[in-house]
Parts: sequence; C-alpha cells; structure tokens
Amino acid sequence: MSIRIATTLLLTSLVGLGSWAKTPADSLVLGKPSDPQTLDPAITIDNNDWTVTYPCYQRLMRYKVEGGKGSTSVEGELAESWKVSKDNLVWDFKLRKGQKFDDGAAVDAEAVKFSFERMMKLGQGPSEAFPSDMKLSVVDPMSVRFTLTKVFAPFLYTLANNGAGIVNPNVLKKADAGEDAKTYLARNTAGSGAYHLVSWQKSQSLVMEPNPYYGGSKPAFKQFTVKIIGESSNRRLQLESGDLDIAEALPLDQLSALATKPGIRVQEFPSLDVTYLYLNNKKAPLNNPDVRRAISYAVDYSGIIGGVLKGQAKQMRGPIPEGMWGFDPSAMQYKTDMAKAKALLAKAGASNLKISFLYSVRDPNWEPIGLSTQANLAALGINVKMESMANATMRDRIGKGDYDISIGNWSPDFADPFMFMNYWFDSEKQGLPGNRSFYSNPEVDKLIRQSASLSDQKQRIQMYQQAAKIVIDEAAYVYLFQKNYQVAMRDSVKGFVYNPMLQSIFNVDRMTKK
Amino acid sequence: MSFSRIIVKRLLGLILVVLGVSIITFIVSHLIPGDPARLIAGDRATDEIVANLRHTLGLDQPLPVQYWRYLSGLVHGDLGTSIRTSRPVLEDLKAFFPATMELALVALFFATLVGIPLGVLSAVYRNKFVDQIVRTISVSGISTPAFWLGLSLIVLFYGRLHLLPGSGRLPDGIDPPTSISGFYILDSLLTGNRPALISSLRHIILPAFTLGFVHLGVVARQIRSSMLEQLNEDYIRTSRANGLAKWTVILRHALPNALIPSVTVLGLAMGDLLYGAVLTETVFAWPGMGAYVVNSIQALDFPAVMGFAVLVSFAYVLVNLAVDLLYMVIDPRIREVS
Repeated sequence: MSIRIATTLLLTSLVGLGSWAKTPADSLVLGKPSDPQTLDPAITIDNNDWTVTYPCYQRLMRYKVEGGKGSTSVEGELAESWKVSKDNLVWDFKLRKGQKFDDGAAVDAEAVKFSFERMMKLGQGPSEAFPSDMKLSVVDPMSVRFTLTKVFAPFLYTLANNGAGIVNPNVLKKADAGEDAKTYLARNTAGSGAYHLVSWQKSQSLVMEPNPYYGGSKPAFKQFTVKIIGESSNRRLQLESGDLDIAEALPLDQLSALATKPGIRVQEFPSLDVTYLYLNNKKAPLNNPDVRRAISYAVDYSGIIGGVLKGQAKQMRGPIPEGMWGFDPSAMQYKTDMAKAKALLAKAGASNLKISFLYSVRDPNWEPIGLSTQANLAALGINVKMESMANATMRDRIGKGDYDISIGNWSPDFADPFMFMNYWFDSEKQGLPGNRSFYSNPEVDKLIRQSASLSDQKQRIQMYQQAAKIVIDEAAYVYLFQKNYQVAMRDSVKGFVYNPMLQSIFNVDRMTKK
Repeated sequence: MSFSRIIVKRLLGLILVVLGVSIITFIVSHLIPGDPARLIAGDRATDEIVANLRHTLGLDQPLPVQYWRYLSGLVHGDLGTSIRTSRPVLEDLKAFFPATMELALVALFFATLVGIPLGVLSAVYRNKFVDQIVRTISVSGISTPAFWLGLSLIVLFYGRLHLLPGSGRLPDGIDPPTSISGFYILDSLLTGNRPALISSLRHIILPAFTLGFVHLGVVARQIRSSMLEQLNEDYIRTSRANGLAKWTVILRHALPNALIPSVTVLGLAMGDLLYGAVLTETVFAWPGMGAYVVNSIQALDFPAVMGFAVLVSFAYVLVNLAVDLLYMVIDPRIREVS
C-alpha cells in the first residue's frame, strides 16, 4: 500500500463522521463546568458535588413535590412515620421497609445511627446544620431515636439536607476504605438512592447507573452521565449538537441565544440564592444606622437587576426571600431615592466620607455591582475605594471585620427562615459564620432565638417578621436581589422538577426523554 | 565529560531543585492570607468545627514541623492528601499529569514538525512570497490567543463541519486503554486497542493544534534567523563552490548547525506548554492538570499545589537534561569541550 493511500485512510478514519451523535433515549447526559471535589456526604458542602450524591443517597426526609412543583416543605423518604415528644426534644423515626443499599444490604436503624454519628465525628461543614450534642439510639431494627438537649425547630427540615444522606455501614469493610471510610467515600457512592456511581474519569465524566436493589420505582434512564466541560461556549455547542441533554451554568448571553434555537428550551425559576451587601455595623462610619439607611436608599436596585442581571433577578424585600416560608410581602423595601439618602446623611452629620468596597472575582457580578454602588455613593459625596482581592483573602478580612462594605451570596442549607434570620442577625454568629455585618441588637437576638425554639410555625413566622422589621429599619445589610436559576435542556427531556432547595440537583429518578 | 557523568551530575542537581521548589512553594502557599480549613468547612461552620479540621489536617502545627512532615512523606513518594478532594495528591496527579504531558508532547511534536520546515523555507526564500507567508503564520501563531483559536476550531470542526469531537480525551462508550504510561495514544498502540487509538487521535488533534500553534511561530522564527546566519557563513559558500547541490548544503550542513539554538527554544517551550496548557485544557475540557491546579490554588490546597510544582519542576529538569544531551548528539564540538 502506498504511503499516500495509507495516509488517506488514516485521515478519513480520524475525521470520520462519528463525532456527531445524539445521546441515547435511555440515558441522560448533563454538562457541568467543574468536577466534583468529593462525594462524601459528611464532607461536601458544595451543590456541584450534590448533583452526583443526591440521587445516589436517600435521606429520612425529602422535599415535597406539590402540583408538579418543588416545595420547601418536607415529607418522609426513608422515614415512614415519626413522632416527637411533648418537649420537642426526642424524635422517633420508623423506617420504611424494603429500602436497600446498592450491595443489597437493608437500610436499617443501625445504618442511620452510623451515618449521623460518622458525620458528627468528622465534624466538617455538613455537621454544622445539626445540633452538636444530639444523640442517636437504635430502638429496634427499624426505629431510630434522636435526642436533642435544646429545642431546634428546623430539625425535621435539616434531615432532607445532602449531609443527612444515609451511608451503607459496609463501606468500613472495603479494602480502600481509609479512616472512617473517608478515602472510599470521597470517590465512590454507597447509598440506597435510585442510582449509584459506576465510573469517574476525573475531570471528564461521571457515570451513574440504577441501583439494582433500589426500593422505589425503577428509573427510566439506564445511565445518567455528568460530563465536565469547563468552557461555557463548548457546553452550549454540545447541547445544540445533541451531545448533551442538559447544560448547566451558562452565562446570560448564551442562554438568551439558546432560547431561540429549535429543540432547546431555557427554563427560569425563582431561586433562594440571594446577593446582598454587608455593611460593617461595628466600624465607623457605618456603625451609624442613618449612614446605612442612606446607602440603602442610594443603591440603584433596578439598574443592577436590569443591567447586570439582565432582568434575571428580583429585588429582595427584607432578609427572607420570596419562596421561603416566613416571607413577608408587606415588608418595607428600600427604593432608590437620592433626596432621602442625602437627608439621612445630613441627619447623621456625616460628610466627606471615605470607605472601601471589598470584593473578589469569584462572582463576575460583584464588580459591576460594586461600580454601580460606587457611582451612586459618589453622588452622595461618599468616596468609595474599590478593593479587589483573592476570594480566600476577602473572606479572611470579612471574618475579622476588616472592611466597610463587602458583598456576598447566600443560599439556605435547609428550608427554614432560620437560615436567614438566625445566621445573619444573631450576635453570637458574628463574622463568617453568618452575621457578616457584625450586627447586634438584644431585642432581635431574643426574638430569633425564641422563634428557633418553638414548634408552632405561625408563632415562629410572627416572631421572625417582627425581627425582620427591626433589621430592615436599621439597614443591617443592603438586601439586593434573589437570582433566577436558569437551565437549558433539550425539548426531549421531560419531568424535571425544580426545587429551590436543590439547586444543581436533578430528579433523574423521575425524569424521562421522549 | 561522558554522558553518564553528566546524567549523574544533573540528577544530583535535580534533588536540590526539587528541594528548593518545595521550600519556596511551601513558604509562599503558607504566606497567602486565608485558612484552608475554613474554606473546606464552609463559611458557616463554627469556629469549633474549623479548629477541629485544622487539627485533623495538621494545620495547627508550627510551619517547620509541617514542612518536615511533608518532606518525610516526599522522600517516601507520598505527596500528602489533597485538602480539597480528600484523595492522595499522587493519585490525583497520576490521573491528570499524563493527560497534560500527552497534550504538551503532541503539541510540541506538531510545532517542531511544521515549524522547522517553515523556518527553513522562510530563510532560503528570504523576502520572497514564501517568506512573507511563513512570517505571517509565525506572527499569527505568537499573537493568537489560545482560547480564541480553540473556540474557533471547535465551532468550525465540531459545530459546523461535524468532523472532529469538541471535548475530552475519549467519547462516551469507549473505555480508556489499559494504563501503561497514562498516554492514551501510546497505551492504545502498545495494547493494540484500535478504537481507543483512533478516538484518542481524533480528540487530540484540535487541542494539540491550538496549543502547538503558538510555539510553531516561535520555532519557525528561531529557525529562520539561525538559518539566515548559517547561510551567510563561509563554509556554505565553499560547499556550494565545490559543487554540492543547494538543498544538500541547506539540509546537511546549514540545518544541523541552525538546530542548536532551536533545541534550547524547544526545551523552554516544553516548560511553557506544561504550565500554559491551562487555557487550552479549559476550552477543550481536556482532563489535564490545568483545572485541577487552578481549583487547588483557589482552595488554598497547598499539598496539591506543591505536588504540582514538584512534579513539573522534576519534568522540566529532565527535559532540559534531554536538551543538553541532544546538544552533544547534534554538535560533536560540545561533546569534546565537555
């Protein structure tokens, strides 16, 4: 064979037509920008990891689907029923029978006890959502008891959290388990969910297949693949070509371009992911509520939402976002009003103020929001110096209270206003844990702590709303906006139910393709 | 000095380089403000959780103790455990390094294979049409941003023409070849895995072209200028006067002499390719070290960052050793002087 023929044959096979394939009907392919970091439910606090872990594990509770829509209320998943003692301290859960891990072992009370004790022992991010002194005991093989020392109203909601995933105790027997099975669980799954991980090509793809022993109804997809494609234009192109069924985390301009393409739909959902400005309440000049109010009136909310977010957001109305129970539609909302802002600044006796705006490049929206704020405050005579730094350094400075204004995003770990009210305003959580404005008001402390200790939801809402009134008036933060979650998928994908508590998590067990 | 003595000397030097790199990376990564334990536990974690994590990770020990522990591990081939992924750093690097190395080598191969003939043509036909074309290609190579070129190629060859894949090392449904070197092309050749060979070649074409294009320009320019220098030498004129054919003189006499400075450029380019593959890897979703290292830096995951630095400096020293040995092969005079 001459060299020419050989070369022609090689080139033909290299640039053949095999690269143009639609995903098979019985598999779902999702494109994401980054690889999971770890798959251990007791360690990960990142929604990007939960895309994989959530469908592979089950929890005692799950978020309800009401009228085809995801809600923030919960129902039993592994728990068939539960009861709580009169003092709200002892919780007994009866487990559903017939639920099995992917090795065929039954999900029992021992497994629940093992999973929670392991998470609390490792003491990493996920354990923070649970009372640190809670005790677990096995009542009988299918009943488990949680004993708390202090009433913790959001308790039931925390059990639907990714960190509350029930892990198969048999992982300890694996040869490569490592201490507390940390090595094994970082790269494998061991749950009783509808799927289990079968392969992980680092930074390339993760393939999940149905758990053969799954106790629920059989999922439609024989394979759920997560493909890692860092560049957004490339994700978009693969979605258009049919190599992906769903593309996540696409920028706004790409989404609007995709919305017009045939065979693709871009869905928008209001999320509980909020962006807000921290105003340092313990440092002059922002320790004066009137200066903070002036800033709250000077911010150009509609300009930021329309210009930076291209309209894909909604201005917040106080600290509890719309969609979370406890949201107050009648709460006071700051509107841009420069005259009022000037009057408040004059009342505070403040002039020629020089302050800094601390931000990082972690979220590309932060800089334009900062620049908009800088321009608006300049009109008030406040000179704002923009300080950009690495995210880790920025967080360090926020934790120490070494800033004037800064910016952050927040989304709740469990469906309770506790995630906003108690974290943002409790004087005991000052610094990075939540109260990043270093706000302190004994009256607010009392209201929010009391609300967290009651079981009556109506009473709790009343107290939270009362506290919210005070913190809005005192302008502890600038409540900017709650973003829309947008995702692009092929028209053939059916049955996706969005839940604001489960961002980046897909209900693959119930989804289909037509 | 013989080959073997040079190799031994260089390998001893390698230990010092790795030691130096590890000390500098260790100090720098610990001087950056920010607490890795806080980053892992999350902002909302209580101080108690963070303190517990710092203790588990050994971050509460004095710096010299931490460095000594790291070094003891390194001697035993243990690069520590990644703070971010909870996996041994060596395991992560084993997964990512061959992908980056394979891409860099293919890119370098392409840059050399195309760059050298272009440089020669450009010098021989100085100021002619061919020279203008080659110079345009070199300047475009040097000045084209890799991400733009990569995206354009994806849009054209994947999006429009449907000829080549747009991302990754292999398509879904084709398993990687049995790992021997971690290089898919080499491993599939060695194991006779034809589908993996064809697929991995198809996947590497666009990223290797993108990454190699910049260096193609550098190589062509370097070869052009050193060829011009050689072509003006007396021995070339003498050879021609003695009746040797034009291309024999160019290829047999001028080119080997012009190659010496280019070998240096290639050695340096390899370092650039290893460090600089990040953008290309991101655009093509190439599962190399680029994204891993960027994420590790952002997460202050210093065992991973140090592992990367140590490994790359190791590779860099070895490549430069190979370059020095290559000098001696190309130019007998250097061998004699040594």
